[in-house]
Order: sequence, then structure tokens, then C-alpha cells
Amino acid sequence: MQSEQGPSPQAATLSLPARIAVAVTVGVVAVGALLHLGMVFLHVAPSNTLSKEHASAVSDYVYPEFEQNWKLFAPDPLQQNVHVQARAEVRKPDGSTETTGWVDLTAMDVADMRHNPLPSHSQQNELRRAWGYYSDNHSDQNQTTPISANDLSGTYLNTILAKRLGTRLNGGTVVRVQGRAATTTVARPSWSGESVDTTTQYRELPWWTVPTAPAGQENAS
Amino acid sequence: MSDPRTPAAPAEDPEPAAEPNTAAEAGASAEPSAQAPAAAEPALAPALAGGSHAQDAGPAPFPFAGLGRSLDRGVSRGLAMVTGSALGPYQAAVIRIGFSLTWLLFLLREWPHRSELYGPDSPWTVALAKRLVAGNHAFTAVLWNDSRGWFELVYAVAVVSSALLMVGWRTRTSSVLFMLGVLSLQNRSVFMGDGGDNVIHLMAIYLVFTRCGQVWSLDRRRAAKAEAEEAATGAGGSAGSDPVGIALWVVMGAALVAATVAGKLATEWKVGLWAGLLVQAVWWAVRRYAPGEPRTVLNTMADIIHNGAMLVVVVEVCLIYSTAGWYKIQGSRWEDGTALYYPLHLDDFTPWPSLSHALAGNALMVMLITYGTVMVQVAFPFTLFNRKVKNVLLVAMMLEHASIAIVLGLPFFSLAMIAADAVFLPTGFLRWLGEQVARPLRRPAPPALAAVPGPRPADTGAGQAAAGQSATEAVT
Repeated sequence: MQSEQGPSPQAATLSLPARIAVAVTVGVVAVGALLHLGMVFLHVAPSNTLSKEHASAVSDYVYPEFEQNWKLFAPDPLQQNVHVQARAEVRKPDGSTETTGWVDLTAMDVADMRHNPLPSHSQQNELRRAWGYYSDNHSDQNQTTPISANDLSGTYLNTILAKRLGTRLNGGTVVRVQGRAATTTVARPSWSGESVDTTTQYRELPWWTVPTAPAGQENAS
Repeated sequence: MSDPRTPAAPAEDPEPAAEPNTAAEAGASAEPSAQAPAAAEPALAPALAGGSHAQDAGPAPFPFAGLGRSLDRGVSRGLAMVTGSALGPYQAAVIRIGFSLTWLLFLLREWPHRSELYGPDSPWTVALAKRLVAGNHAFTAVLWNDSRGWFELVYAVAVVSSALLMVGWRTRTSSVLFMLGVLSLQNRSVFMGDGGDNVIHLMAIYLVFTRCGQVWSLDRRRAAKAEAEEAATGAGGSAGSDPVGIALWVVMGAALVAATVAGKLATEWKVGLWAGLLVQAVWWAVRRYAPGEPRTVLNTMADIIHNGAMLVVVVEVCLIYSTAGWYKIQGSRWEDGTALYYPLHLDDFTPWPSLSHALAGNALMVMLITYGTVMVQVAFPFTLFNRKVKNVLLVAMMLEHASIAIVLGLPFFSLAMIAADAVFLPTGFLRWLGEQVARPLRRPAPPALAAVPGPRPADTGAGQAAAGQSATEAVT
């Protein structure tokens, strides 16, 4: 198939070592490709006989660089609008403290994305995925136990809240922040004949004390 | 003969044959290159397979009589194919351009938000990111140094490497830098990404192993020029010294030494990157000083690796559609035909609410698109066995992704998926498309330059397999 003109060496004249080298390459590449695809298949397939038996081998291979999730809007699309809201406890110059009203941070992102053909990941994914990460790692109940420093998802979500609210609010310094998720079920299609409760449900997070040196600033070198 | 199936078809072939047939395989791999016309291959395959089978013997023909022989023939043909050339050069090039363009546009769009997403201003703080990475060992150069300047440098390298990969300048090196850039930024802040980032992440890794700069690249142009010069001067065989390539190699080597000395690389990355650097040196030396058999062997090895990587890309795309489709089948909303209605009412995915709500208000349309999506996703991998049906579904999927880009406000996800779909486009269409794009660009060029792509149509007439063998050699 070498259609090129010129002094190209012809493969037919390959010596035995060269043929062996080619054969070994074929073998290694074939085994490698099929092993890779097998691992990825077991990773994306539902939990099954094989993937349960080799769970640790599969996850050792797939994580971190070949991780993937293609359950896009599956098995069912999300049917609720989750808005992450936040409020702060601020300390006034006179030493008194005050709790602010709730600020709908998701609504601010949504407003920024409206009529924008190129929404930013910081508007579309940041809060949404931070909430997903948090709710995956915390039970459904309103929690009262404070979020420890070891709690990555809790620290992350609250850091977003603190950054969005800023260090000063209502004429005071932000000392603590609290988040909540306002979940509203999307009304069923008019033709479906089903009806659901579309009143907004709230889930409150515990108060979180803002670290004195807000994360990120120490790096501004 | 064509594109999508060529990488897919040999899938089964190499595996059973790899071990048992070593001798025959080396023979088969050698032959077709000698017998120039592609048509000669099937004819010579039976000879290889040994003609001593007693077929046509019994009165009641055993339906599987020819099975052994056609299996042999299939295996040797498959081997000839995967060792004969880097398959699907246009498909490899189109995904190279597609993914690098998507990532480049994304990085430019996020320029104002880059520090919030991946840098020192991110709520996913350096401390949080380091804790997660310490656990999962993901590669991210961003966390090697906490200064803002370092972050800006990594981001800049990611931007530049995307542009270089897109135009195919020193494609192999660019593809490695592109992969490192993608992984560095995405792994720095995993919770900022979505499905589009996931596709780019995987494909950036796979692209490194392909010869994706064979066509539509600056490398191709450089190689064609070198060939023309060679032909003019009559100097044959060994390649030029390539000072730019040496300089680039030295810079990469120095960076790798620094990263290694600083202890920033995990073992598997150290091994992989050093091996890559070493291979490039060997490649250069062989092309320059051993243009005979060693060059042929290296070239064949690179082709085999390319073909393996293309197979992985193709199957990966099928896995994406299969999982997306098969999980949907289990969902009650996809079953009752209303699934599409819900994303059109989610605040995060409705940049044009009146458009979304108008679409969601049409019960029949919602049902048709909901069912159509599942059918196409589930069916697609199987349609690869039929060229026409495959192409129809491909058009449907690309159109659906283009609509998702606008309606759901997911332009980069959609672009990445369209780039992934493009690996299944037929060679004829891609070449036509390439000419449409290139024609206005080529017009002002002097006749000498315009003549460069000349030989290509003739080559590729015999099957895309023939695509610029010597040209690709320059592309390590």
C-alpha cells in the first residue's frame, strides 16, 4: 500500500527480527486496546457479575483518568429546580450581629445565563455540581452538626457561598454563612393528567464560620 | 473500504491471531506493502492460508465448509490492514481539529473566569484540590506551584497547545502538551466540568497515540515540501536534520528533567513521558541515519498503535451512546414520552426560556424527540454495519447536538460530541469538506504550493489507506 514514489524500503524484505518486532507490536496493541475497552465497558455498564467480581481492578484502572459517566438525563431527567440560597451573619461596627435575608445565588447565575449563547461553567456548573457533590455525601435531613474541615463537599459548597456573598454585607463583616437548597418540582406537562406538589421545599445546611483568611487570597503572590 | 468500519472491523482480527499466527502474520503484514495495489491483497491471502482444504467434497454442502478458510483469509486481510497503514487519516484529523478547537474556544470563552474555575480564586481551593488529588492521584500540573504566575503559565500552555494541535504543527508533541493541558486544568477542579469536559479528557489521551497529523496539518505540508525537494535534488533516503524538531525536543526534555527532579511526576507518568521522549529521539535518529528497514519497522509500529487508538476512539463513542441510550430505556419519563419536557423547564438549561417553553408545550414534538433520541442512541452502534443507515443516523445525531447547543445552552458539550461523531464520517465526504474549506484559503498561494496536495487524490483513490505514507513518517 505504499504508493509513494522514491526509495521507500519495501516491507516484504523485512528480516525475521523486524517481523517479530511488528508481530509483537500487533499483539501488545491488540491486548492493550481490548483490555482498556473491557475495563471501560465494565465501568460504564450497570453493576454486573463481572464488574462486581473485579470491582477493585476496574476502579484501579479507570480512576482517575478514564472515569466517565454517560447517564446524561438518564434513567430520568432531573425533574426539580434546585436553587442554592445563602445568608450571612454579619458583625456590625458597634459589635452587634445581624442575620441577613436569603440571597438566591442560583437565580443570579440563571439571570447571567439568560439569552447568553455561551454560558460559563462558573454559572452553569459551579453551584449545581457543588450542590450535587454535597447532597451525594450528606443525608437528606437538615443537618445541625457543624461541617468539619475534613468534609470536602461541605467546605467547598460553603466556600462558594462565602465568596459569592463577599466579606462585607449590610454594613457589617461576614462572620458566618448558611446555605439552603430550595427545591421546586417541575409541574407535569399539561397533557399528562398527572399533578404534583410544586411548592418549594427547603433544606437548610448548618452555619459555617468563614475562615479569617478567605481561601485563595493567600495565593495572590 | 471505508472509514468508520475500517478501524472497527479489525477489532476482532488481531486478538485471536496475535499469538498463534505470529509467523503468518508477519508475512501477511509484509506482503501487501510489496504488492502495491490494494486489490492484490485478497488474492494473495488464500495462498497464505494454505490451500489444502478439501472443500466441495460431500453431497450435502456443510454450511460452514468455507468457514475456516474465510476466517484465515479475514485474519490475514485484517492483519495486512492494521500493519499496512495508519487507517482513517481524515477521520483522525477531523477529531484532532474538532477536539482541539472545542477546548481552545472553551478556554478563550472562560478567559475572564479562568481563575475562578481553575486558578487561585477558585472556591475549590488549592487546599481542597490537593486533598482530593492526594487521594486519587490525578495528573494536574496546576497544583505543582501555588503562585498565580504558574497557573497563568499552565493556562497559556493549554491555550497554545490547543491551537498548535488544531493546525497540526509538530502534531505528536502538540498532542502530548494538549493532553497535559486538558488533564491539568480539569483535574485541578473536577467539579467544574460536565459531559463535554469528560469527552475531551478521554479523547485528549487517545489522540496522543494516533497519527492525527497525516492530513490537514502543517506537518503534512512540511513533509510534502521535503518530499518535493528530495525529488528535485535526487537525494534519497535519509531525512534532514530538522533543527526545529531538535530544539523542540530539547525544550521538552528540559521540562521533563525539571519535573522529574522536582519529584512532581507519579511513576506511570514518569515512565510514559520519558518513553515518549526517548522514542522521539530514536525516531529522529532512524529517519536520519537508518532509512532502510529500521525506518519501515518504526513506521509500521506507529501505524499499528494509531490503528489501535482509533479502534479505542470508535468503541468509546459507541459506549457513550450505548450507555446514554440503555440507561434511558429504564426511565419512566423516557418511556412515557415526556422526558424532553423536563430539561426544557430546568433553569440551568434554558438560556432561551420562550423557545424552550414553546418546544416543551408541543406534546407530539416532545414525544417524537424523546423517543427518537433513545432509538438513535441505542441503535447507533449497530448501524455501523450498514454504511447508509449509519450516515443517516450520524446526520440526525449531529443535528440533535447542534440543537442542544442552542436550546439547552451547552455549546461546548455539543461541539465535543459533534467532534466525536465526526470520527464516523465517510472519507469521501471529509475530503470534499476539506477541499471546500481549503479552496478559498489556497487561492492566493503560488502555483508551487497549490500543487502540493496534487498527488493525494490519486493515492487515496485506491483507498484511504494509502494516505501519504512518507508524509506521515515525518510526523513522529
